[in-house]
Amino acid sequence: MTLIEIENLTVTFRSKGREVRAVEGVSLSVGARESYGLVGESGSGKSTILRAICGMAPVTGGTIRIGGQPLPTPRGRAFSTEVQMVFQDPYASLHPRHTIDRTLSEPLAIHGMPDRDARVVQALTDVGLPPAFRFRYPHQLSGGQRQRVAIARALMLRPKILLLDEPTSALDASVQAEVLNLLNRLRAEQGLTFLMVSHDLAVIDHMCDRIMVLQHGRTVEEIHREDLAGARMTTAYARSLFDASADRMLGGTTETAP
Amino acid sequence: MSLLEVRNLRVTFDTETGLVQAVRGVSFSLGHERLGIVGESGSGKTMTGRAVLRLIRPPGRIEADAMTFDGQDILHASEREMRALRGKRIGMVMQDPKYSLNPVMTVGRQLTEGLRLRDGLGRADATAKAIAALEAVQIRDPGRVMDAYPHELSGGMGQRVMIAMMLIPEPELLIADEPTSALDVTVQAEVLSILDRLVRDRGMGLIFISHDLRLVARFCDRVLVMHKGLVVEEIAASRLLDAKHPYTKGLLNCLPRIGGPRGPLPVLDRAGI
Amino acid sequence: MTALRAWLSDPNPASRRQARLGQAWLAWQRIQRNRLAMAGLIIVAILLLVAAFAPLIAPHDPLTQDLTRRLLPPGTPGNLLGTDDFGRDILSRIIYGARITLYIIALVAVTAPVLGLLIGTVAGYFGGWIDAILMRVTDIFLAFPRLILALALVAVLGPGIENAVLAIALTAWPPYARVARAETLTVRSSDYIAAIRLQGAGAPRIIAGHVVPMCLPSVIIRVTLDMAGVILIAAGLGFLGLGVLPPTPEWGLMISSGRKYLFEQWWVATMPGLAIFIVSLGFNLLGDGLRDVLDPRSASR
Repeated sequence: MTLIEIENLTVTFRSKGREVRAVEGVSLSVGARESYGLVGESGSGKSTILRAICGMAPVTGGTIRIGGQPLPTPRGRAFSTEVQMVFQDPYASLHPRHTIDRTLSEPLAIHGMPDRDARVVQALTDVGLPPAFRFRYPHQLSGGQRQRVAIARALMLRPKILLLDEPTSALDASVQAEVLNLLNRLRAEQGLTFLMVSHDLAVIDHMCDRIMVLQHGRTVEEIHREDLAGARMTTAYARSLFDASADRMLGGTTETAP
Repeated sequence: MSLLEVRNLRVTFDTETGLVQAVRGVSFSLGHERLGIVGESGSGKTMTGRAVLRLIRPPGRIEADAMTFDGQDILHASEREMRALRGKRIGMVMQDPKYSLNPVMTVGRQLTEGLRLRDGLGRADATAKAIAALEAVQIRDPGRVMDAYPHELSGGMGQRVMIAMMLIPEPELLIADEPTSALDVTVQAEVLSILDRLVRDRGMGLIFISHDLRLVARFCDRVLVMHKGLVVEEIAASRLLDAKHPYTKGLLNCLPRIGGPRGPLPVLDRAGI
Repeated sequence: MTALRAWLSDPNPASRRQARLGQAWLAWQRIQRNRLAMAGLIIVAILLLVAAFAPLIAPHDPLTQDLTRRLLPPGTPGNLLGTDDFGRDILSRIIYGARITLYIIALVAVTAPVLGLLIGTVAGYFGGWIDAILMRVTDIFLAFPRLILALALVAVLGPGIENAVLAIALTAWPPYARVARAETLTVRSSDYIAAIRLQGAGAPRIIAGHVVPMCLPSVIIRVTLDMAGVILIAAGLGFLGLGVLPPTPEWGLMISSGRKYLFEQWWVATMPGLAIFIVSLGFNLLGDGLRDVLDPRSASR
């Protein structure tokens, strides 16, 4: 069953009389419980696609359907319980003057949900944070802990779809591993569908089954995980991304090592 | 003879909450080679690089048993002597070119200023030398870049300009602090190969500071792995996969690999370090 | 005491209240380290105490006239700071005047910043034509010289302390609106606002719960720094006879009445002037200290 369907999406930003097409004619479909990756360099429009789904970018063409239904504008409350997003920079995505408790319980308050205390404690435990952190402020947490809070917040309303915008690129490598493991565990436990954006091909490969390579707002190639691992890409750009991927560098040293 | 010799370097910050030791006794020596310093945030790698140039501002303090550059004591050198070293004999490339270039001056002027003031070159000579430097970092139309302002350049272009600027005085040692982290992977590879070639051709010493073990492994001869202000392991880059220290091993293993296994990634055991 | 301190600095607070008090405790510790801010705080605290206990502290009734004892110099037994042209004790009048000053400050502080904050955050958050209209109105108010506008308002409404406060408040809000709007513009595009919007929150909730807390520190700093100006404008209105009416002991009015004797009996105007100077200084020092403590850019470190 397809859960996310994007057809011919075009996003155009207007500033000072100039038009910039950030995304041009991108189509993709993601099945329920699938994990789909968008990869590309800066300016490829990969994050803009996520923002367009959330109604935070000016869609000038094409359609986005979630569960077969076209999305209303503005997105409305029902949308919040379907789709949530985890942002790139955990230092910027948590309100600096709100406690973790407030950050996590606010979505419940907005939607008038009961048992807030129990749910907040449960959410903290789910993302592997001690309940004692509940009344801390973001500046009392490390980057990885903040990103866990951001993930917990995104899951408070039990959405089906999680949009992940470079969720680990601001984190250290060892913390990245922990957060990626957490995301995979939560996906399995809660039956989530991921649409993940990253510039790091190795991260996307680890997380996703199908991958779309983007450049300058257009689709370059859609590739399966197995084909990527076997270097069976059809376009030169996808290959150059693959060759430049940092993890290949270490592979290079292994081969030459005596 | 070694180019740079650092013995028991310590960098301490006197903060509201007490003394914070960013670097807690780092020793290394560097010849005409490429040395990588790797570590996660807070490991003290950046502070180590800055301490060599004595670029730590109060309340930070630099202490060491010895710190010499080409036989000259740079631990006790006067600020004036340090200024003569910085830029001229020791260059530094920072992470983000956006913050290192003056936004209201054309690239050409920034490149030629030093040449004209310090070396007393005429306008034509300085311009010729600057264009040659831009060509050396594989900028295709140096004339256009000379007339451009920093905001008109892309990230990769800006970083190349920074490298060119650092290379004009032909320093003997280049300290590059995450020179490619703000760049896209394809651009990153290009900038690295430029840097690599320059170091090889000119026989410079290079300290390459990065959080990315894989990048450093490919690019350097020797790697210092830092953790919490200490060097936990020093190893030849080609033998990195035989690293012994659990922290180095943990850092290597926790990275996902294309086509790697799908299970949970190995996580660094922080208690064991 | 140590138990309380440990409770306040507990890194894992057990309740909302403990978390909030812990943050306040941290801020208090930071302000304690700032000597000038503490000096300002002490001056403001003294003003509060003097105003609260005026009848107990003042040696004389501020309104009782005694024409046999008029224009006595400072240091006269019984009249420490001397007497004015009606033989009233200047010290007592300054002490009672603290009440008037505080009353004006308090009224201005609860009206102008609230109005400015509301207009600024709404304009900044919504942008577009709402922003354009609200900001042009702000510009119109900003374009008038403050004292002149206050004068015009008092002239229309008639002199009196409430009208003076109203006039000051109506002329004081535009800078707060500007400050709040500028903060809102940077906050509006941040990820945490995008996140709460994505959670389905409406504009009133976002503005009140998420935008205002970020603007509040800069507005509070601005208010504290502006208090000196408010005291001066109130005094100016009093001086011109458009604020508080005689014989109420208001500092500006007292200076005005001492003007006639400035050369021979300098203390009549100088003593209330000193009071204004000290209190203004106190608020300015406090404002500077608060900037170090409350500024989000320094708090994150």
